[in-house]
Amino acid sequence: METTLTPPKTAGTGSRGARRLGAFVILAAITALVTITPFLPNYYVRVANSLLIYVLLGIGLNIVIGYAGLLDLGFVAFYAVGAYTYGLLASPQLGLHLPILAILPIAAVLGAIVGILLGLPVLRLRGDYLAIVTLGFGEIIRILMNNLDDLTGGPRGIFGIDKAEIFGIAVARPIEIFWLLVVTVVIVGILVWRMEKSILGKAWAAIREDQDAAKGVGINTTNAKLAAFATSATIGSVAGVIFAASQRFVSPDSFSLQESVLIVLMIVIGGVGNILGIFVGAAILILLPEVLRGFAEWRILFLGLLMVTLIIIRPAGLVPRAFGPEKLLKALFGK
Amino acid sequence: MSLIFDNLTKRYGSNTAIDAVSTRFERGVIHGIIGPNGAGKSTLINMTAGSYPVTEGAITLDDTRLDLLAKYQVANAGIGRTYQNIRLFDQMTVLENLEVCFYDREKSGVVAEVLWPPAARRRYAARREKCLDILRFFGLDHMADLEAGSLPYGRQRMLEIARALAQSPKVLLLDEPAAGLNHHETAELTERLAALRSPERIMIVVEHDMDLVMSLCDRITVLHHGKLLFEGTPAEVQASRDVQLAYLGTQNDIEDIRAAAAARRAFLGIRTRRRSH
Repeated sequence: METTLTPPKTAGTGSRGARRLGAFVILAAITALVTITPFLPNYYVRVANSLLIYVLLGIGLNIVIGYAGLLDLGFVAFYAVGAYTYGLLASPQLGLHLPILAILPIAAVLGAIVGILLGLPVLRLRGDYLAIVTLGFGEIIRILMNNLDDLTGGPRGIFGIDKAEIFGIAVARPIEIFWLLVVTVVIVGILVWRMEKSILGKAWAAIREDQDAAKGVGINTTNAKLAAFATSATIGSVAGVIFAASQRFVSPDSFSLQESVLIVLMIVIGGVGNILGIFVGAAILILLPEVLRGFAEWRILFLGLLMVTLIIIRPAGLVPRAFGPEKLLKALFGK
Repeated sequence: MSLIFDNLTKRYGSNTAIDAVSTRFERGVIHGIIGPNGAGKSTLINMTAGSYPVTEGAITLDDTRLDLLAKYQVANAGIGRTYQNIRLFDQMTVLENLEVCFYDREKSGVVAEVLWPPAARRRYAARREKCLDILRFFGLDHMADLEAGSLPYGRQRMLEIARALAQSPKVLLLDEPAAGLNHHETAELTERLAALRSPERIMIVVEHDMDLVMSLCDRITVLHHGKLLFEGTPAEVQASRDVQLAYLGTQNDIEDIRAAAAARRAFLGIRTRRRSH
């Protein structure tokens, strides 16, 4: 009897050929995006920018949902915190005109603080309860922005936000924002991937798999979860700063519940807990509506059908957790 | 230095699951805890590991009051445990299941690990080697990169013990390690556990498999209805009239059981005869 049960499957999926093909498709898509975009008309650059901002948001939210296994439906709140931080510190609204390089760290710290403020009361909650409370939190932030007229300009938002400038180089035109986003996505992506592989990332995974057993091996789940919320919020906030710098206008409309849901969907469709999946999920959910612009009334129907189909045929997402960046490198160059 | 239960009590409402148990467990000794179903063995283990709060009394490990700590602090104070129903981190690899036990010892280096790859590589290599050593001991090293949840049941039991060892615990608590294993696997387990005996370590095994307990343990604690019934060597336990009564009941009970068994045999016999007509 012993060890003659079904042979254990390796931590990967699909045949080697399929994996290699998938790897090439992902890599080719990313390369194409980066090399072709600068030569396209502004409309396409704007779409690419929107895509990259959502990738950034997805990488941030994935830490909480994908790594630590906590469903957060209020992520857009941190995005708003970043956007309004830039809006307030670099516009005539308060008469402040700080440079973007000064605002980025401020927004990052502020995002982390707000992340911990959200994390503290919800530490004991899991699953549905956590989702509902975070959803409420997201709405609270939006409603605050909508009603603090003196500070945030209320529903009218903040106009005339400064053009960003980095080391004397203007970062305002879509193509300039595009390069800023590419650099940010690469840096954040690598840092987050390394975090996932660190001992903290393993602790997050243990909490996701079995919280009690995680405590049983000596993990202070409270601190580890707060670290997840704070890191994730920091990234959301940074994405918000870049968003505000690119739109040069912020209003509460950009931070509705729908945005949070969209980011969660990106993660679920792309592959929960996998950075590569976020690129795929974002590509589908951001590009498809643009491609289908001619069929405006039908778009939502298409999206719905696509989602139902995907959830049935690939419940773990298009790029499953097991196929992470290291597998991609291996499939491309490895043995 | 030892693990001491002082007047340990656990009540659920009016129901007393553990009733004023006082005993001590010594380093270098393999202790067994046995008792009929509902005797309170699991409650005792879960209180020691910090999973259940203690109603009264104290648990002390080398001058540290474990009953005052949170569960993760109990683990870091030196308690490594396994569970009656296997609780591995299923989607993590076998190796990662062990590596994550280093969280408390290495969490302060996370920033360095993320920002400075060479430091991370050294740290990672040292951690990995320690974990592989433990896996080798359990014959699991060739499965290091498989998902823990995909291992056969018997291997998962072994992996859970390996994970507890990766915490470098002072006390190793094993909650029914042989549950669900076949004879061959139980023999292998007994052998491995015997090899884990160390002057540095207190081992406590809760188990229903009497062969395993009697052959492995140096001292046995018998619980009955939440009370400490008997303590002694395996030979003393086997000879104890109290223990026999606890497990089998009074002489009258034993006769009742025999009578019931005889009646059942007679009934089955009648049925078989009828069918043969």
